Amino acid sequence: MPGAKFDIHYVFDYFPKQLSTLSLTLTIVGLSILLGLGFGFLVALPRLYKVPVLQRVSQVYVSFFRGTPILIQLFLIYYGLPEVLKLFSVDVTRTPVLAFVVLTYSLHAGAYISEMIRAGVTAVDRGQVEAAYSVGMSGFQAFVRIVLPQALAISLPVFANLVIATLKDTSLAFSLGVMEMTGKAQTLITLSQHFVETYIALAILYFVISFILEKIFYVLERRLLKHERQEAGAGTGRRFGWRSAPTLRNLLTGTTRGRGGARARDGRSEA
Amino acid sequence: MIQLSRITKSFGRHEVLKGIDLNVGKGEVVAILGPSGSGKTTLLRCINFLERPSGGTVAIGEAKADGKHPSKKDIRELRLKSAMVFQHYNLFRHKTALENVMEGLVIVRKIPKEKARAKSVEVLEKVGLGAKIDAYPSQLSGGQQQRVGIARALALEPEVILFDEPTSALDPELVGEVLEVIRRIAKEGITMVVVTHEMGFARDVANRVVFMDEGAVIEEGDPREIFAKPKQERTKQFLKRITPEPNYSI
Repeated sequence: MPGAKFDIHYVFDYFPKQLSTLSLTLTIVGLSILLGLGFGFLVALPRLYKVPVLQRVSQVYVSFFRGTPILIQLFLIYYGLPEVLKLFSVDVTRTPVLAFVVLTYSLHAGAYISEMIRAGVTAVDRGQVEAAYSVGMSGFQAFVRIVLPQALAISLPVFANLVIATLKDTSLAFSLGVMEMTGKAQTLITLSQHFVETYIALAILYFVISFILEKIFYVLERRLLKHERQEAGAGTGRRFGWRSAPTLRNLLTGTTRGRGGARARDGRSEA
Repeated sequence: MIQLSRITKSFGRHEVLKGIDLNVGKGEVVAILGPSGSGKTTLLRCINFLERPSGGTVAIGEAKADGKHPSKKDIRELRLKSAMVFQHYNLFRHKTALENVMEGLVIVRKIPKEKARAKSVEVLEKVGLGAKIDAYPSQLSGGQQQRVGIARALALEPEVILFDEPTSALDPELVGEVLEVIRRIAKEGITMVVVTHEMGFARDVANRVVFMDEGAVIEEGDPREIFAKPKQERTKQFLKRITPEPNYSI
């Protein structure tokens, strides 16, 4: 086994040291997702509205960023972009590495986000848009007031996955020398040779953050999708305790009282 | 009130409407009947430009739009003067019954929230949903959802309400409650154009029925007369095929 003899104390010792770089990791995630949302929107629009040439361009963009490893994208942008910009006599040698890293991650996230937005928007049925028009709304009002909130709610689980995936992907930024959590871990290892302890501490860190993010998104999702729950909140569907207590029979058959089949059928059939 | 003149509509090569003229007077209830595929729904949707006609003109009151080259402003004017009730309700699923009704008032008509709220509650009570104002569409039955749809249209106080097969998607036992609400507002003298398959309803509530087939108006007139002794062969055939619902009231 390489490195020094296992010593559990290093796990506790290195934990706070790596934690100190957490803010950088979260900065990369935050900025990338934020910019990614911007890219995603820009790229999704031509496909949603079937703009002739741009539609093709965004297709190529999406398949490139989804079809190549993020590590390669990091290298391509870090080494390639300055070369390209040199042709236009733009000098980026003084630009911090972090900028390239954030750009790569946001372009990467943007590809997924555009797909997410597209799927979300198409999932909102056309009838609601027509209803919005029929009460006199403009196309923009219908999109912002009716389609977008629902599309976002629908997309949230996918978005949560993406944020967590981006968090984990930031561990590759150290390959360009960025001192985020994984980068910090590497230096600690170089100093002490305690591989396993360092990685245990690192794994715990990533896991805890992912776990917290997961919970936050779960709460958010429940709030945004409260309209799809059949069990009502205050003021509706009041059910009295003794009435709603499940009997063995409807537990077995999976039915509850007072909910006709009609609801499920006519509620969903238009989707 | 409504004047449709020489409305045509083609989807690709298929001509769905072949130059339709239709006038609807103020307070009139017009039922459009006909076999499926006859273009009734398309005609209705041309009135508020959810479907853009290939030719002809649409006018509601002062608002007028050229079928083929309407300006955005003209379309908006038509939509402000009309409201629509859809076959599949098309409620905003992320909004409560109350918010569904308020949406148009607040966002389009720019009515202050409190006033819009009061108005919406009043209309929802009118359609018998006073107890359900905070329910989301997914928590309502089809009949209740459609009544919210009617309330949403009614609250806008439009000059005409367009009904697109308002009971076709409903379970048979829920049809009655919706027809009853429509019947009640018809009595208040609101102008209505109703595309429907409910013959009994058309006979009782409409002032005039219009029979369409293959994109043209075949026959129109007083419902009692037309149902009793239709002049055209195609109308006779159609009426024979459809046995009238004996009773739909609750």
